[in-house]
Amino acid sequence: MSGVIVSAANVTRSFAMPAGAVVAVRDVTLSITQGEHTAISGPSGCGKSTLLHMLGCVDTPSSGTLRFDDQDISTLNDRARSLLRLRHIGFVFQRFFLLPMLTAAENVELPQAEAGVARDERRRRTLELLEYVGLAARADHRPSQLSGGEMQRVAIARALANRPRLLLADEPTGELDQATGEHVASLLDRVNADGTALVIVTHDPEMAGRARRVLTMRDGRIDGEVTR
Amino acid sequence: MATHRKDEPFGPFGPFVTFGSFVSFWAFVVLTFASALLVAQQPETPSILISRQLAELEQIAVGDEVRLATNEQGTDARAFRVAGIYEPTPDPMRLGAVPREVRLHLTDLLALERDASTPAGTEHVESINVALRNPGEAQAFAADVNARIPGVFARGTTGAAGSGSTFVVLERFHLAIAAVTIVASTVFLLALTIMLVDERRATVGVLRLIGLPARRILLQVLLEGLLIAGAGALFGLLLALASEGLINRFFQWRYDTALIFVKVTPEVAATCLAIAVPLGAAATVAASWALLQRSGLRLARR
Amino acid sequence: MMPLDLARGGAPLAFAWRSLVRQPARATLGILGVAAVGALLLDMLLLSQGLVTSMQDLLDSSGFDIRVAATDPIPGKPDIEDGAAAAAQIAALPSVSAAIAVRTEDADIQLADGRPTRATFAGVSGGRSRPWTILRGADIRGEHEIVINDHAAQAIGVAPGASVTIKAYCFGGAEAAPAIPFRLAGIAEFPFDAPNQSGAGTTIASLADACGTPDARTADLVLVTSSGDPDAAATAIAALRPDLRAFTNTEAVGQMQQRGFTYFRQISTVLTTITVSFALLLITVLLTVSVNQRLGEVAALRALGFSQGRVVLDVLFESALIVGIGGLLSLPLGAALAVWLDGILKRMPNLPAALHFFVFDPQALWIHGGLLAATAIIAALYPMSIVARLPIAATLRDEVMG
Repeated sequence: MSGVIVSAANVTRSFAMPAGAVVAVRDVTLSITQGEHTAISGPSGCGKSTLLHMLGCVDTPSSGTLRFDDQDISTLNDRARSLLRLRHIGFVFQRFFLLPMLTAAENVELPQAEAGVARDERRRRTLELLEYVGLAARADHRPSQLSGGEMQRVAIARALANRPRLLLADEPTGELDQATGEHVASLLDRVNADGTALVIVTHDPEMAGRARRVLTMRDGRIDGEVTR
Repeated sequence: MATHRKDEPFGPFGPFVTFGSFVSFWAFVVLTFASALLVAQQPETPSILISRQLAELEQIAVGDEVRLATNEQGTDARAFRVAGIYEPTPDPMRLGAVPREVRLHLTDLLALERDASTPAGTEHVESINVALRNPGEAQAFAADVNARIPGVFARGTTGAAGSGSTFVVLERFHLAIAAVTIVASTVFLLALTIMLVDERRATVGVLRLIGLPARRILLQVLLEGLLIAGAGALFGLLLALASEGLINRFFQWRYDTALIFVKVTPEVAATCLAIAVPLGAAATVAASWALLQRSGLRLARR
Repeated sequence: MMPLDLARGGAPLAFAWRSLVRQPARATLGILGVAAVGALLLDMLLLSQGLVTSMQDLLDSSGFDIRVAATDPIPGKPDIEDGAAAAAQIAALPSVSAAIAVRTEDADIQLADGRPTRATFAGVSGGRSRPWTILRGADIRGEHEIVINDHAAQAIGVAPGASVTIKAYCFGGAEAAPAIPFRLAGIAEFPFDAPNQSGAGTTIASLADACGTPDARTADLVLVTSSGDPDAAATAIAALRPDLRAFTNTEAVGQMQQRGFTYFRQISTVLTTITVSFALLLITVLLTVSVNQRLGEVAALRALGFSQGRVVLDVLFESALIVGIGGLLSLPLGAALAVWLDGILKRMPNLPAALHFFVFDPQALWIHGGLLAATAIIAALYPMSIVARLPIAATLRDEVMG
């Protein structure tokens, strides 16, 4: 399939619990293509985040096949999966997860340093990204000196550091007020418009409504799909 | 055949049996008496006690006869009988040395060491140990002896070593090591309590925001700290008691001695608790006090 | 602020440093704790061989490398018959450079009508070698001349050339010896003098006179200087005089180690073990609590593409930094602590002033570094395993729920 970045075929993810196995994702099949903007919504506990983690190769399915760039993820070891995430996937988290001892610029530089990007190129790219998210003036500020919205924008810049083809956002506006969330959502729209495939997990209908394709999950299954 | 009569049990041979019995009896008496005289004329082998270690090394058993001499050439050696094997009193000053010891009667030792030309009674001994009926009078007794008998020096055994004695110095050394260990432990304890208190900063922040005064929170922390420090100190004490047995057993085996190397006395245990519990509680309070200097809003904010 | 502009391989160190300094109080206390523990560890390593090394140096510096006695433990009772003759016999051996007989007794030294000072009184047989070093004045040249140490000189207020009285207390003496006049030739240093101990030296014949037994020829020891091979000289002496025992300095120290010094080796082993275990436990706890407080960050880094090895390496480097910096600080701290502890132990009675318990040994430094390095690695194992086995998705989920 041309243009498909990641595809899931009949993937199921279950967790062994003391009271019995819990199936978080049941028999889901979907694919994400280049430049796509997809939202996954549903009530709390329906398996949205679990599905997102599998798409981002952070988690592996209990059954079914997950492929990234037509390569079966289950054949990759941890090192190969890490490299895949580093170079091709960006993550934005609800809790931001910026490193508090690094400045905004250093947080954005971090994945580039890990990917072996040369210093000058790193610095240039970091400035470019911070300008992109509107925080060039706050480059030397630590996360504790930034507001929630600013932290999330730095997190987006960090996620874009190595030019990923796929950006995954798990409740990116979950900890933000409406106005700030609107700002972040617009930024994510812009990222997608510039060519990065975007998958957002959200329970916010307005956030979901911005996507071209909305998948609705219930009890671990995709029980609805709307494409605009 | 002669007739067997009750009043003549041995028949015609009766007189010969009677005479033979008489001779046998007296021969036995004479021989016994002569043996006793012979043994009495031979001098009895004096007895000695030897240390267990010497007995094991030289394969000597109770009842064995050995010869002791005061020189390597073995001249003028005398025979002694091993009457028993004893466990030497452990001597910390001779740790590592195998006690190849023999205990003799003083007269036997003096006789062994005495030059043949020296009459008995003119030898000297190095010391005389005295056990008083009332040990509390030791110092007074020693002073009295020193005053009355020139040429001898008497002293009580308690504190005889003085402040410069080897074991007093070693005790100071051990205390110095303990002091350094306490300092290192306190530093680590502070680091740990800071980390543990920091984990609860959000909770503390919320409590401050809803109006609880800092003093109230500190009191809570103090009580928690006392509880944790007390439990920890008791656990440490149990660990020390277990280690005491292990260390003593190991070194007693290593040096083949009955010395006690580590002893956790009630005083030692009380001192350790008296140091550990306040230190632990104080560390928790100190870490919390530093945290409480910040505003509740700042603490509650993630 | 350390910028992240190290080469890729060095980034973990910079990252570990930044992780450490984000909590300066915690990091400082951890490092100081390691410094204190490391100082104690270093001192225990110095103590394990310090006394032996110091005694060996003391014996070697005395100028004699073999000691000959009539008994096994040295020194024993004075029972080398005709010590001077024995010394002369031994000195004639080709493997021997010099030999002197020595007898030691106690004596009171005083000026006329002055207060006496009790001294250790050594008498030596002929030859030019001496178990003392002249500081002022001259060495003894004839009979009834003595040299004394500074402590004795100050105690009785006397200078070279003065006349003093000697009242000796000799082993085996049946009667109290009379006081004998001596001329003070010089002030000397006796290597085995304890602090605050008076010492004096004269000829063995003069000492016998002072003991009231002018015909006595016994000696405690024969001190021997070999021609270069003490082992060969000791063997030759044993062959010449099978009734005597010859100990090289190394053998003499070995005897002392077995008899009296073993306590210090044992306590240093016990305390080294306890110290290392203590440091291990505390650094493990410090790192584990620190890691547990950052699990969300670690999971986020893993999600961003940091490999398992990389995040594990971060923890290892953090441990290495705490232990490394603390270990460096422990060196001057350990040196100062060693001086203090040495001062305490040197107050033991009858120890030569030149003897030390803590002696610097380069090997101790290597062992110290090795033990600390092992501690850093082992202490990091558990927190490294936490980070290595961290379930990324579950942790991210838990962080959100939390």
